[in-house]
Amino acid sequence: MFLNLDRHEQNKTAVKDDAGYSLTYGDLCAAIGEFEKLDLGRCVIFCLCRNCAGSLAGYLAFLNNGQVPLLLGAGMDKELRDRLDLVYTPAYYWLPEKMASEEGKAGLFSFCGYCLVRTEYEPYPLNDRLSMLLTTSGSTGSPKLVRHKYGNLEANAENVAKVFGWTADEKGICDLPMNYTMGLNVINSHLTAGAGVLLVSANLMDPAFWDFVRENEGTNFCGVPFSYEILRRIGFDKMDLPALRTLAEGGGKLTDRMFKWIASYAKSSGKRFCATFGTSETSARMAFLDPSLALEKIGSIGKAIPGGELFLVDETVTEDGMATGELAYRGPNVTMGYALSREDLLKGDEFCGEYHTGDMARRDAEGFYYVIGRKGRFLKLFGLRVSLDETERILKTRYPGAEFVCLGDDTRMNIFTTDESLAPQIVPFISAKTNLHNSAFRVFVTGEIPRNEYGKVRYSALEELVRNR
Amino acid sequence: MTNLEKYDHIFMDVFGIDHAALGEAFTFKDVPAWDSVAHLSLISQLEDEFDIMFEAEDILHYGSYENGKKLLAKYGVEI
Repeated sequence: MFLNLDRHEQNKTAVKDDAGYSLTYGDLCAAIGEFEKLDLGRCVIFCLCRNCAGSLAGYLAFLNNGQVPLLLGAGMDKELRDRLDLVYTPAYYWLPEKMASEEGKAGLFSFCGYCLVRTEYEPYPLNDRLSMLLTTSGSTGSPKLVRHKYGNLEANAENVAKVFGWTADEKGICDLPMNYTMGLNVINSHLTAGAGVLLVSANLMDPAFWDFVRENEGTNFCGVPFSYEILRRIGFDKMDLPALRTLAEGGGKLTDRMFKWIASYAKSSGKRFCATFGTSETSARMAFLDPSLALEKIGSIGKAIPGGELFLVDETVTEDGMATGELAYRGPNVTMGYALSREDLLKGDEFCGEYHTGDMARRDAEGFYYVIGRKGRFLKLFGLRVSLDETERILKTRYPGAEFVCLGDDTRMNIFTTDESLAPQIVPFISAKTNLHNSAFRVFVTGEIPRNEYGKVRYSALEELVRNR
Repeated sequence: MTNLEKYDHIFMDVFGIDHAALGEAFTFKDVPAWDSVAHLSLISQLEDEFDIMFEAEDILHYGSYENGKKLLAKYGVEI
């Protein structure tokens, strides 16, 4: 069975959520059996995820039974979700019962507050190796998906469990969304070890979150850089959390100051801080920094996880033994490639076990990697990858008469437009559309978008505008 | 601008809402948009505007639009 769910202690709690549901490994196996009886065949299913037991059980069953789930956040803008629906024509939806009834859909099977809804679409042929789909830029509703193959999630779960040393005694806290690759990996790596998973939907600033973690003795936490900013502000280092043993980070680069703060806190309180690095294209993680070296190698993502290999493409080496280049990875968790249409779901393995991340990295003389920048046109806002091109497309669709260019860094997106009258509307619109808070966007009005003789946008001139503001 | 006006403006800006939405019912529990990102943004804007520094415990238990006014009084800001 997927993640050896049937080989773990069947009476042990596998999942507990903060809505009140709790499932043992035996319950999960029985649920997977119930789904199997529905005989859904090979088809695409949209899972509208929340961090709760019902959402998780559906995902596990589909993965195990040969359906291909696309994991989306349940809070995703309906219009963006409908766009994906038209492109990928799913045969079923797995969604919260409440949402189904609000949208007037009748469920044919229910479990822990979730239900399965048949759509009017017929199943269509899929590549035999295709196991799961994730978005590349979930908040913009981009149709570009990552195609996972059978074995990807299992390999990453096992290798991550190994490098962290997870045992069946752990209780992993999953606060990151399960439709987000790193959140899903927290779940998979604990389940494959026969450990427990605490699924939390309350946010980090809600006292209920900490009550839940304390009562259930969560042992491992995983956050994105923004999670740690919150932790610092709410006085996490003063909280009494004796059961907590491991703090992990992924999904973006911490500032050196923050990295040091967490590493020092971990050291002085007898916990471990593990910096990691991953992407959706590698079924989550590819690198891990040994926690005993955290204070020595500040800002590093460490080395490749077991079973994988990190290297630099087009590397240049300086005299002190430092190498710089594009970060790349080989391993069993590398996915098959992308899809832009449902025809692409027939495609085979295009990555062939090797993925070039688009991140620029440095490797020190002792072989430790540091991410230093990015080649591609996307940002990571609150740990979520946001495509600049997709955001521009959304804006141009909404305001056909105006020109837009999006730029920025991992703290903020800067939106440039030629139409001054639109300026006050843009932030509320794009913030609602992407479900990202309005503090993440800033608007700049410019007479014209600067372009070179070939008509390409001169990004440097626009960046100048930001600096001069 | 009075302190109340400043306070209200920060809420309207952070949550992208009209003045009419503010009141007793505007609480952390009941407003879906009041997530961790909005909360952190709210806290830092209040700190900048009133030149104060919230204690961790007060950030975690800010609770609501109304309760926040009482908390600010603790830092010497009368709303």
